[in-house]
Amino acid sequence: MRIFTCEPEWEAMLTCIFEAFESGLGHKNIKLLLEPVGQVSFLDEYVHVDADPSKADRLSEAIVRRISYEVYTEMAYTAMAFEEDVLDNIYHVLILGFHYGPEVLRMVKFADIMRNREIRARVVREAERFREILRFHRVGNVYIAHFEPRSRVVGYLGPIFSDRMPSEFFVIVDDIHREAVIHGKNEHFYIQKLTDVEFENLLHTEEENDKYTDLWKVFFDSVAIKERANEKCQRNHFPLWARKHAVEFMR
Amino acid sequence: MYDLSNNDPLKEKLTILSDAAKYDVACTSSGVSRGGREGFLGNSVAAGVCHAFTSDGRCISLLKILMTNHCIFDCKYCKNRASNDVPRATFTPEEICTLTIEFYKRNYIEGLFLSSGVIKSPDYTMERICETLRLLRTKYRFNGYIHVKAIPGASDELIYSAGLLADRISLNMELPTQESLRKLAPNKNMKNIIGPMNRISGTIAGHRVAVGKSARMERCGINKHLVNSIFGPGVDRIEGPEGDSSLFPAANPFLYPAEKNDALLRRPFAPAGQSTQMIIGATDETDLDLIRTTQALYQSFDLKRVFFSAYIPVNEDAALPDKTAPVPLLREHRLYQADWLIRYYGFVADEILTGDNPFLDYRVDPKCFWAINHLDRFPVEINTAPVDVLLRVPGIGPTSVKRIVSARRYGSINFEMLKRMHVVLKRARFFITCNGRMFERVPMDHRYILNQLADADRRDVYQITDRNNDFRQLNLFDDLKMERA
Ligand code: SF4
Repeated sequence: MRIFTCEPEWEAMLTCIFEAFESGLGHKNIKLLLEPVGQVSFLDEYVHVDADPSKADRLSEAIVRRISYEVYTEMAYTAMAFEEDVLDNIYHVLILGFHYGPEVLRMVKFADIMRNREIRARVVREAERFREILRFHRVGNVYIAHFEPRSRVVGYLGPIFSDRMPSEFFVIVDDIHREAVIHGKNEHFYIQKLTDVEFENLLHTEEENDKYTDLWKVFFDSVAIKERANEKCQRNHFPLWARKHAVEFMR
Repeated sequence: MYDLSNNDPLKEKLTILSDAAKYDVACTSSGVSRGGREGFLGNSVAAGVCHAFTSDGRCISLLKILMTNHCIFDCKYCKNRASNDVPRATFTPEEICTLTIEFYKRNYIEGLFLSSGVIKSPDYTMERICETLRLLRTKYRFNGYIHVKAIPGASDELIYSAGLLADRISLNMELPTQESLRKLAPNKNMKNIIGPMNRISGTIAGHRVAVGKSARMERCGINKHLVNSIFGPGVDRIEGPEGDSSLFPAANPFLYPAEKNDALLRRPFAPAGQSTQMIIGATDETDLDLIRTTQALYQSFDLKRVFFSAYIPVNEDAALPDKTAPVPLLREHRLYQADWLIRYYGFVADEILTGDNPFLDYRVDPKCFWAINHLDRFPVEINTAPVDVLLRVPGIGPTSVKRIVSARRYGSINFEMLKRMHVVLKRARFFITCNGRMFERVPMDHRYILNQLADADRRDVYQITDRNNDFRQLNLFDDLKMERA
């Protein structure tokens, strides 16, 4: 079996899928994996694919023209997921898509489509969680938030927070994948990969606490009713992993 | 308590005024969807967003504060009553605005929930509240969620202004009868609560119709299929009985407030609707009284929500339960379940409880209790039963009903499939058949099924009561006549 591998990044993924289609080896003899590849088997042949903007563009165009724009954006969402089979799944959904057309995502009788729905649902669930628990710190006139998602959901959060604060300068930093949403006052946001230096510079913004961080802690404590104390319930709703960047739990 | 040693006045005010506001249970930011606008701060998400959870396990969605905890009234159950000696504070409008804006930008909250004690007079207080909201909406250009409390006794014009500035408006009924109000809230009367509630509801309906919506608020879609539901198809607002104008005065239109002409504020009136709260356990109303009142409030005033708040004894008073009285958390929980049955399952109050048995059962939830007492209607066949009958099966909720109905178009359903549709077989198994077969052979015996279901519920019951001290647990299990936990 030939295994195509690439960096976990949208343009590279599109290029990788493009190469898989072009190889003409037959879908059954191909697998696509994201790097770093976990277990390497000696029976398989591994081919690393580098991102190639023109090939990626050609594939995107083909998807939009021959399937639909909706399928294209849904695949882009799928690609954010932290799941081992995500690249392979997108490849198989596209094979079905080129055959059945725009209705493909509703054809749940195919296992690949079911799996794709599951992956997307997980991404959305994770991203929606961060809509709630993201915390911004004010640094100068910029509001900066750090978070640590499993999937690459910073792109999902961009539109959410741009709608919420259209006229603020804010930055949302994904500490795991080292990318950030940057939104200027009354501007459209963009996503940027962070260099080591940029990442270092942004690293300590959570230590920038001002009066309002303190006031929030005051509020958080005093609004609880001690006669109803229920830490188990609190932990169910706000698990320990979620507390790392939540200022109310930083003492 | 937080360390106030550095004497920051704002910190001190926030401590006092959030502590004083915490007994109001409503904290949702839901009910209206509104996109952001350039030059403004904030939007609103229909489903609501919870940003944090307090150590009592409740969600924080809004900055819930009182404008002031000074109060000229003397409601017996309230910590802020005039006769109590407690630290008092008052926020300035600017302080409230800055807190809201700064918390909002840091993603701590979805908006503001502003309530207040009564200073000088209801009108004076309401005026100050409106001033604050006006400032927040105009100078601070805040476009997020606002829930405002209307002060009983304030003038119509001011209440209209508040509704135009906020997303949700609420008037707390607190106690369901004039009798209880007289006993515990001598400065309030039913007329001062019901009157504005009625006018608010009429104004909301008017604003909705003006923009082409239905007069009544949107409800869970499943109600469309439930002919019995109080939100079902073809149900209109129920007006009060003729001649009883004291309780249901004609819904006079409000006077035109200044906000109406302000272009910056082209806002609908309370688009997320109206809500109220009742205290549970301070007086001796039965659960039947409470859910009948709840239902009447939905029917007459189209309230979006009715909240229940278990009474927490903060004051010593001969008219109140003892200070050591347990907080009736389980009762509150059961009442919420009954409220769900009305809002999502097509039940009416008098089906849930009867005059001879006016309290909700502690052991099992009200839906199970109803089913056990109507065993002659069960088991129902999953593959053929209509929507309203399916919804009455314990363990099956609106979402599972939708799944069942859509799946059975393509073939027959078995127990395995029900499990995957998240039907709770632990409860449902006594009441259903799939293709004529029951899940297992069980005697259709009232006592047997009650015991089985109570067993299934015991963990929930335990967890809810578990919150308090040992004294409370023992007490509950005594009530239930259970030998062991
Ligand atoms: S009006 Fe009654 S309930 Fe409200 S703050 Fe004053 S005393 Fe408390």
